[in-house]
Amino acid sequence: MALRTESILVNMGPHHPSTHGVFRMRFIFDGEVIVDMEPVFGYLHRGIEKLAEGRTYAQNIPFTDRLDYLSSMTNNLAYVLAVEKLAGIPVPERAEYLRVIMSELMRICNHLLAVGFLLNELGAFFTPLMYMFREREKVLDLFEMVCGQRLTYNYMRLGGVSHDIPPEFLPAAKKFVREMPGRIDEYERLLSENEILLFRTKGVGILPREQAINASASGPVLRASGVRWDIRRADPYSIYDRLDFDIPTGEVGDTYDRYMVRIKEMRQSTRILEQALEQLPGGSVCTRVPQLVRPPAGEAYGHIEAPKGELGFYLVSDGSVAPYRFKIRSPSFINLTALRDMVRGWKLADAVVIFGSIDIVLGEVDR
Amino acid sequence: MILKRLLDWLAGYWPEWAAYVVVGLVGIMVLIAFFLTMIMVVIWLERKLIGRFQVRWGPNRAGPWGILQPIADAIKVLTKEDIVPDRADKWVHLLAPVVAFVPPLLIFAVIPFQPDAILADLNIGILYVVAVGSIAVVGAFMAGWGSSNKYSLISAMRVAAQMVSYEVPLVLSIIGVILVVGSLSMMDIVNRQSLPFFLMQPLGFLVFFLAAAAEVNRSPFDLLEAESEIIAGYHVEYSGMKFALFYLGEYGHALAASALVTALFLGGGKFPWGALPPSFIWFLAKMVLVFCVLFWIRSTLPRLRVDQFTGFAWKFLFPMSLINIFLVGTELWWAKEMGWSLFPWPFLFLNWAIAGMLVLVWPKLFQLGVGRVEV
Amino acid sequence: MGTVITFWALAVASVVAALAVVFLRDVFRAALFLLASFIAVAGIFLLLSADFLAAIQVLIYVGAIGVLIVFAIMLTREVKRGNPWGRMRFLAAIAGALLLVTIVLAVVNTAGWPGGTPPPPQATTEPLAMRLFDLETGFVLPFEIASVLLLAAVIGAIVLVRER
Repeated sequence: MALRTESILVNMGPHHPSTHGVFRMRFIFDGEVIVDMEPVFGYLHRGIEKLAEGRTYAQNIPFTDRLDYLSSMTNNLAYVLAVEKLAGIPVPERAEYLRVIMSELMRICNHLLAVGFLLNELGAFFTPLMYMFREREKVLDLFEMVCGQRLTYNYMRLGGVSHDIPPEFLPAAKKFVREMPGRIDEYERLLSENEILLFRTKGVGILPREQAINASASGPVLRASGVRWDIRRADPYSIYDRLDFDIPTGEVGDTYDRYMVRIKEMRQSTRILEQALEQLPGGSVCTRVPQLVRPPAGEAYGHIEAPKGELGFYLVSDGSVAPYRFKIRSPSFINLTALRDMVRGWKLADAVVIFGSIDIVLGEVDR
Repeated sequence: MILKRLLDWLAGYWPEWAAYVVVGLVGIMVLIAFFLTMIMVVIWLERKLIGRFQVRWGPNRAGPWGILQPIADAIKVLTKEDIVPDRADKWVHLLAPVVAFVPPLLIFAVIPFQPDAILADLNIGILYVVAVGSIAVVGAFMAGWGSSNKYSLISAMRVAAQMVSYEVPLVLSIIGVILVVGSLSMMDIVNRQSLPFFLMQPLGFLVFFLAAAAEVNRSPFDLLEAESEIIAGYHVEYSGMKFALFYLGEYGHALAASALVTALFLGGGKFPWGALPPSFIWFLAKMVLVFCVLFWIRSTLPRLRVDQFTGFAWKFLFPMSLINIFLVGTELWWAKEMGWSLFPWPFLFLNWAIAGMLVLVWPKLFQLGVGRVEV
Repeated sequence: MGTVITFWALAVASVVAALAVVFLRDVFRAALFLLASFIAVAGIFLLLSADFLAAIQVLIYVGAIGVLIVFAIMLTREVKRGNPWGRMRFLAAIAGALLLVTIVLAVVNTAGWPGGTPPPPQATTEPLAMRLFDLETGFVLPFEIASVLLLAAVIGAIVLVRER
């Protein structure tokens, strides 16, 4: 445009329907074109990292539920992995399998919501979201069976998991895994070829490969940019090295690729679930660990491929019952750093969509 | 017709102008009552249907099948506090809902439900509809500006873009109909449709339907109140009854648009096999059907971006409406030259073939992934 | 009787609105009054049985021109304060008054003001079209020239704001 109008500053958030919580974006608009964007966070800061230093290792597990409250299971897992590494706690095989099963169910659950909310931000008036919720409910039912909770599970324990699965879990989970590919086909039929979706997402908000790596992005955001990086393969934890699955990647790193990677990852997760449910061995689900774990002085970094990216817990122990330092590397927060470069030059409506395609949860960004 | 009789009767006792005023007021009352009832019905229907589209129940608490839900909503909205922002332009803020609410009501004055159930069969019927419809936008403008809110302001700018873009294809697509009918009167338009015009002019129907959907902010063109972007757009700063007026006005406008689609392209109250039930029932049925298609689209499609939105009007709907006019004009001229009185059937197939081809081919001109501006 | 009341109501409304346009400092409100004035004038057209003209008046002036004016106002700064008083305001007032007088005189002198003429035709659309597009006595050529001019203006506007 040769004609420049006066730019306006719009504070989007902290209360806005599409900021996924309390996040604020200070936009400078020229008409509807974004000239600049500054993310402002901290509205949900609860000081978890500091709080955790005053509690024992086992008491900190519930805190991790409150980070990314849409994928509590994987948060639990990342934390207990770090503690187990620090204290050298062995984990029974059955527990490893259960952890993987729960993680992958969680991943499906998270990606369902990510895709659903992305479509919502595209303006699809809740319909895709409601479809996604239908399947999410089934996963939540499964979680309720094993731990009695539907949002904050607190299921993983140091050295295993809190409860063994009840008898009705396996048939229900197998039924879900059988149904899920058909459901994903249904979503793809409804969404992936939709013209408006293509127009709104193809080529929009491109995060180039180099930039994604430089921004230290991870998870679907990184893979959509064409980087084949998945901690389940790069640094296998638990029993992922025994399972057969692919790492879907995108090509250009636009919003559509991020959407597509999530859809494909759901398919891979069902594949993993199939194998894990088949191979599930018997035995105990938790090693006996003392109430107060006193890891030797030292440090450990446990990281996993959480649904949103690399979730890591860096723990420093001084030999006492509580961690000396408790640092969270949260994927939402770090993926968010690339947002400014992605949205500049696009329009208001695109900013919301690009933001949605990163898939963040404010509980994890602000901690 | 009843009104006419009432007028004659009253004129026997009172001075003529007083009779006119009274009859006019009665007509207005009937219209408003009809309008509000109809809106309540479609709001309930929409919530119920969208519920089903979204694999859930929809309203089911207030009364059987949630049928009292609109009434409950109305009571809620009426008892809400009316909040006016401190820095708002008070008068503009106050008047905006009224300006937005009245035009849809006015449109219903010329909707031909039945030959004897039309409040005013104006000579310029359809032109009147378009003209009055364009006033509703001023209400959105006033709200957007008067609220002193940046989201509202962005929405008001989108209103301008929408208005300037979509009025053009809307009016041009009506011309195809007027060419065939040779009259602007709504009654004449309905009477001429021995064959509904959407069969005869598929292209015009498509353009009119889409442009009308955009005019009344139904998705995928609901950018003015895009919830995920600008929250509620121009009425973000409204609460209570003022908000309700916007809400009613919006539904009323959508209802008016579906009534227009019915009258212009679906043969109004006509029914192919005789007219067993009174024709206004057919009219209402068709109107609600068109409205349901709008729900269907709303619950299915994502929203367009603002540049795609205007681009769609100028690059797709506008050429389509021109082609439609050209097509219909040529065919009429040809039919006149050959001395055919009826619209010949082969033209119908030709029109459908051309429309299908254009709809398939034209979108290929659009490019994916454009719209970034260097900043 | 009814017609007379309506006429006066519309006439007063349109003049008051027009005065408000001139004297209000708040440009946005002035624009709204301009729209009100347009609508009132459309009402007067209706009273004269010029229904086609009335509809066109609303469609073009309120729907298109008014919207564009309001849009332009939204993109300007300090709308509430409006324009400062210029030094030329007396000159402008005089020029405006002169123009008004000229127009009024011209209208009063040239129009025959015939009274008791036959009522205007019921449907004005068709006679209007006949008058406009009649090949011998109509205005087909001026009409076409005007449309070509507008087309040129549209293309020019597109060229001006084209990116790159």
